[in-house]
Amino acid sequence: MTITRTFLASFTVSLISLASISTQAQDLTHKAPPQNHPIAIIGATIHTISGDNYSNSFVTFDQGIITAVGQDNSADSFKPAPGMQIIKASGLHVYPGLIGAITGTGLIEIAAVRSTRDRDEVGQFTPEVRASVAINPDSTVIPVTRSAGILTVGVIPTGGTIPGRASIIRMDGWTTEDLAIKPDAGLVINWPSVRPVHDWWMNRTESEQKKQIKERLAKINTFFDAAELYALARKADPATPIDIRYQSMLNILPGADSQNPVFINANDIDQITSAVTWAIGRKLQPVIVGGRDAPQAATLLIEHDVPVIITGTHRFPKRADSPYDEAFTLPLRLQNAGIRWCLASGERTAHERGLRHSAATAAAYGLDPALALKSITLWAAQILNIDETLGSIEPGKAATLIVTTGNPLQITTHINHALIDGKYIDLSNKQTKLNEKYRERYRQLNMLPDNN
Amino acid sequence: MKTRLPSYCSLLIALFAFNSILFAQPTSDSPLASPENGPRHNDPSWHALINTTVHVSPGEVLEHATVVMRDGIIVSVLAGQPGGVPPAAPAGAQLHNASGLHIYPGLIDAWVPVDADTPYSDHLTQHWNSKVHPSRSALLGAGLDKTKAQSLRKMGFVAAAIAPRDGIFKGTSAIISLSDPAETSSAQAPVIYKDRAYHALAFERGSRSPSLDQAYPSSLMGAIALVRQTLMDAQWQARAHGRNPQLPQNALDTLTDSTGAKLPLVFDVKNELEVLRATEIGKETSRSVIILGSGMEFRRLDAIAQTNTPIILPLRFPAKPDVSTVGRADAVDLRTLMTWEQAPTNPYRLIDAGLTVAITTGKLPKKQSFMDNLRRAIKVGLSEPDALAMLTITPAEMLGIDETLGTVEVNKAASLVVADGPLFDKDTKIRDVWIQGRRYEINPAPGPKLDGAWTLRVGENFSMALVFDGNTIKTQEEETKGKARKVKLDANTVSFLIDDEDDSKGSYTLSGVFTNNKLIGTGISPDGHSFQWTATRDQPIVAADKNTADQNIDEADNDDLPPEDLPGYPFGPYASPSIPEQQTVIFTNATIWTSSPDNIINNDWIVIEEGKIIALGTGPIDVMTKHDPVTIDLNGAHITPGLIDAHSHTGLFAAGVNEGTQASTAEVRIADDIDPDHINWYRQLAGGITTVNSLHGSANPVGGQSQTHKVRWGVSNPNDMRFQNAKPGIKFALGENVKQSNWGSRFTTRYPQTRMGVESFYLDRFTAARAYAKARAEYEDIVQSIRRLRITTQEQNKRIATLDEPRRDLELDILAQILSGDRLIHCHSYRQDEILMLARVAQSFGFKIGTFQHILEGYKVADIIKETAIGASSFSDWWAYKFEVVDAIPYNGAIMHDVGVVVSFNSDSDELARRMNSEAAKAVAYGGLNPSEALKFVTINPAIQLGIDKSAGSLEVGKDADLAIWSGDPLSTLSRCTATWIDGREYFSLQRDAAFRQQITAERQRIIQKLLAQKKPTKSDSDDEDKETEPESNDDKTPEQYFIADQVRKTMMQRYLNNQPTDSLDCSQCDTNLSIINH
Repeated sequence: MTITRTFLASFTVSLISLASISTQAQDLTHKAPPQNHPIAIIGATIHTISGDNYSNSFVTFDQGIITAVGQDNSADSFKPAPGMQIIKASGLHVYPGLIGAITGTGLIEIAAVRSTRDRDEVGQFTPEVRASVAINPDSTVIPVTRSAGILTVGVIPTGGTIPGRASIIRMDGWTTEDLAIKPDAGLVINWPSVRPVHDWWMNRTESEQKKQIKERLAKINTFFDAAELYALARKADPATPIDIRYQSMLNILPGADSQNPVFINANDIDQITSAVTWAIGRKLQPVIVGGRDAPQAATLLIEHDVPVIITGTHRFPKRADSPYDEAFTLPLRLQNAGIRWCLASGERTAHERGLRHSAATAAAYGLDPALALKSITLWAAQILNIDETLGSIEPGKAATLIVTTGNPLQITTHINHALIDGKYIDLSNKQTKLNEKYRERYRQLNMLPDNN
Repeated sequence: MKTRLPSYCSLLIALFAFNSILFAQPTSDSPLASPENGPRHNDPSWHALINTTVHVSPGEVLEHATVVMRDGIIVSVLAGQPGGVPPAAPAGAQLHNASGLHIYPGLIDAWVPVDADTPYSDHLTQHWNSKVHPSRSALLGAGLDKTKAQSLRKMGFVAAAIAPRDGIFKGTSAIISLSDPAETSSAQAPVIYKDRAYHALAFERGSRSPSLDQAYPSSLMGAIALVRQTLMDAQWQARAHGRNPQLPQNALDTLTDSTGAKLPLVFDVKNELEVLRATEIGKETSRSVIILGSGMEFRRLDAIAQTNTPIILPLRFPAKPDVSTVGRADAVDLRTLMTWEQAPTNPYRLIDAGLTVAITTGKLPKKQSFMDNLRRAIKVGLSEPDALAMLTITPAEMLGIDETLGTVEVNKAASLVVADGPLFDKDTKIRDVWIQGRRYEINPAPGPKLDGAWTLRVGENFSMALVFDGNTIKTQEEETKGKARKVKLDANTVSFLIDDEDDSKGSYTLSGVFTNNKLIGTGISPDGHSFQWTATRDQPIVAADKNTADQNIDEADNDDLPPEDLPGYPFGPYASPSIPEQQTVIFTNATIWTSSPDNIINNDWIVIEEGKIIALGTGPIDVMTKHDPVTIDLNGAHITPGLIDAHSHTGLFAAGVNEGTQASTAEVRIADDIDPDHINWYRQLAGGITTVNSLHGSANPVGGQSQTHKVRWGVSNPNDMRFQNAKPGIKFALGENVKQSNWGSRFTTRYPQTRMGVESFYLDRFTAARAYAKARAEYEDIVQSIRRLRITTQEQNKRIATLDEPRRDLELDILAQILSGDRLIHCHSYRQDEILMLARVAQSFGFKIGTFQHILEGYKVADIIKETAIGASSFSDWWAYKFEVVDAIPYNGAIMHDVGVVVSFNSDSDELARRMNSEAAKAVAYGGLNPSEALKFVTINPAIQLGIDKSAGSLEVGKDADLAIWSGDPLSTLSRCTATWIDGREYFSLQRDAAFRQQITAERQRIIQKLLAQKKPTKSDSDDEDKETEPESNDDKTPEQYFIADQVRKTMMQRYLNNQPTDSLDCSQCDTNLSIINH
């Protein structure tokens, strides 16, 4: 595969600069400049996700937007437009950029170092905080994660009952504002355990727990009641003093112009049932996150069209006697039950690049591989409400794409190119640089050949 | 220090004095008796229980018998004449008509915990570890609480072995009678049958101490090491005393003095696995061992039966699981359900297994449940004679007091139970307990039964119908029905109130006495007039309907007996009655990844027999097998060697992964902590894992000894999982964890706190080990030279005994093995500087390192690793979880490999361990290795690193038949493991798994239905227990309540309170110190 620049010399210069950037640690790397000329990727198989796959085809884009997708064998007859950059990719595959629906990208740099953690704000109810303002655009995690093909991520705060608001970002940008696709993408709620727990670590009696469960649910209701009353009061009298907590919740409440979802973390059947009935009762737009026991609540979820974001397949089964592959087959079981779902990696922040692997495991355990891919692209976009621009390869959508050596579900598949809104992304990162640096050490010691 | 001793010595003398006056009630002969205050009391103590049923010993019953007791001793036990005439009682004895009653030997409780004082509180004589105080005596200190003694008497107990609570070496137990000291003068304190009966021990770990440094041991393996070292120290010290009697005494002497050396060690175990560990210690140190059980022994019956160790058994049965809603039932796992169902069968199963078993009332959350639980045990299979033996003669023999107690026989103590029916019947009440000829009334003989319909008359004009039913009296005057209030029934008197229904003036008070078959009494009317009344019985009531109802319940319960057959091992889901058969198999049409120099073979065959690979190849199969082979056509599926995980903590969670309390804990053995029942073993089998290196955590520079295990799911004895002839190993660790960098601000004082100090620590320990090894070797040389002398063995022993023997140190023993090359270091390491440091330390002491583990900066110093270690075992792509891994790169494995290091990828996570095949694929993804080389990262390379490559790690003739079968290319994320074989046995296959799933579903439903059928509400059980827990149940914390687990508990509670998932705990996933201590 080669990248050839044709027609305009000035573009060639910019390409050279692209190629020479990569001698520094990634967080020192320049960000990609905006797409300022049309680009065509030709000769590859285009996996549109929303529709068919087209082999030996092409996709073109300009100013960050996909302009055309070819049919089977359309590459040979492709006529580049004037000034168009050509990426020759025969034998390669083009997919929409992968989407990590639930991550901590940029909020946690090194988990064990407190000063690098910005994910848990103090307090049980902190709807006023939102992820996007604290995402470090120079985090070393971003280039490493995107080199695995993940070009869009949802970033959610954690901790407490309402930890804050989720943001959706693109994996390239100079500032947090450059990164943000949707700075305010919905409210995160961690649903409490609603049945008494008898696990060995529990040091409260059943009656204490029941009392506490009641109190915690009551607190959630009180908080939402207050938010609704606040919304009413503000509507009736704009001079009503502002409370930034409730102000932050206006767009998830019923009657909002474009109602944002609430992402409710809930895993067991009692939690899911309780969370869904609560949210529907309040006319919210719930999305269940986790959803371990969601198949048991299938009828309820379908009745209210509540989607589920599975947080990874690489998890233990719930009980010792559960099937060993219980978490591996959760996607398949949701699919068979007719529940809308998508997949997040569920890994710790720096390891969220494992998303493809997580999806592949679902496929290894029975899910149609094409659906496994869909669950980390188009379906994720739909559930995050960004499918107007992302998640599939269609004219009019963002040119956020990866060019690969094969099926992204295979770990051994290499991501050769990535484009975010048509911007050509440098896939090198701190890790590739260290690889280079230390191979040089062994070449100097004559322990590696010059070409290794 | 010598000046301290007299007080303790005099105490011992006092104890022996007690010993010698066992039965003669102390008189003025006793040097301990206080002067009498007033005339001497000489009440005759001479009693005859006449015409009674005597249960002389289990199974031996005399009818119409007479038991005569004089001065606290049984003087005769005679059966009645034919025809039911009881033998005559001696004139002069107080006669007790006991007809219709049952006499049993007094019951004996072999374990009753008490608080005891700790002698030797000065630092010269006390042991360094605050949990080691073998010199404590149960007789010194608060002793047995009076109400506790009373509650035991009420259940029929006459004697108890009281044992000090708390600690690892808790002290010695004493056997005392349960008479009430308050009823006697001070000289007549409770009789002490034995002042020292056994040494009480437990594998106690952790402490509430805020400092981890003082919490040694925090793990089971640490407790075991401390017990072993202490017993060896005591023996070594006793030998030293033999050479030099002038040596000062200290806290350990009680373990080896003339009495103490013979006493059994009673280990209070927390679970069934600890039984095996305690027994091993007994064998190693030549001490007899008795187990104070957990009640869960049935879950590991075969291995426990093989130890043939006597057991003191609590009757603790788990609370009913709550399955009352869909969600709650969903939260209960099958093992919990099965344990609930089978726990009452524990006593009879242990008896059937041929073990000596006594029963204790200990470890019960509610003492009242003792008899109920015993009856449950009897209902599910324990015979009544066995039950009686477990409470009488068996504990008497176990404790060495069977000459005095345990049966109703002449010359034994007059300590008996008198019951109004067979002892274990539900309605039986204990009337009296006799202790040393002294009677304690427990339940007075009931008065006359007044039940029935009566007519009450006052004068000639007034009459009223009364119906007595137990404690209630219904009244009827003409048409008016009522109920008497404040009914009091006593031996033969009755009193009650009858309200004046007519004019509401008030109540009549009536009192009467039963005489001449009628009630004669007096009463006072509401207006104060006194009157006389009589009542006569018209007919007795037959409570027919009530009895039938009871019977129905019993019958219904009988249908619900737990299954006779246990599931096999492990107790719980995925169990088989026996481990899978070893088979002779020809696998054909396979794609074979040999991980040998042959690499991949296509479309070919492999033959296994008697646990070994006997042939493999291409083309026609021409192999002679001893047995008829099974041919399995794989249709092109892939076979690889069984995968090997060089870094595992599976099955270590409950007992402790780390003994991280001291900077070096080389003395601990991870094998002591292994739980072979953990479900994650099975889950890893389902990912093709056949062998793991079970490692200690990384909390300290020198961790514990590692153990290579094969994943032989379903063993009864965990030792059977060990990989035979694997090279011994030990865990070392460097960097942040051992410096306690991420442990929180409290942990700043343990040396080392810097990487500089880590080096110094190693230099010092290895220097110490070298000196130690030299001293031991010199001593052994002299011993050997004496052995070669042509003198009698006795004479040899004598000479050897005069040698100054260097003290054996379990920590230095192990460090010396590293120096001699007999044990490999597996060292947790990250940064290049520390890797180089350890490499140079090893070189300077002349040994080769086994593996560097994790080794995420190994790519920076691969040349050093190649030179100084067998290999490097890395994570495939972990990074950024703590500061020392900021430079971790997924290319690490490939670079080291390219430079010539033997590289493996490991999991360090029970969850990740389920897909080591795709971990290997990351060496292809990052670094471009060819696939067969990448697969070696999880097959032959870890085998080389663990010193097991002669028998595992590749598919070659003569090697163990350990293999995994895959639906497709093993490096593909879209393939899955379809079968896993170990030693030529199919431990996992999709078919076996499918059958298991069916069984599990059926078994869950069977037990859940059983629970749902029970009428009593299930949910209150646990709450009740919370409320009524007695203080002694502090001795009875579940293993999870110890230190390390406390940290996890905190984490889990925190997660719970933060509304985070708590369902699947993997240490690698909990954001605590713990995870960091592990990797």
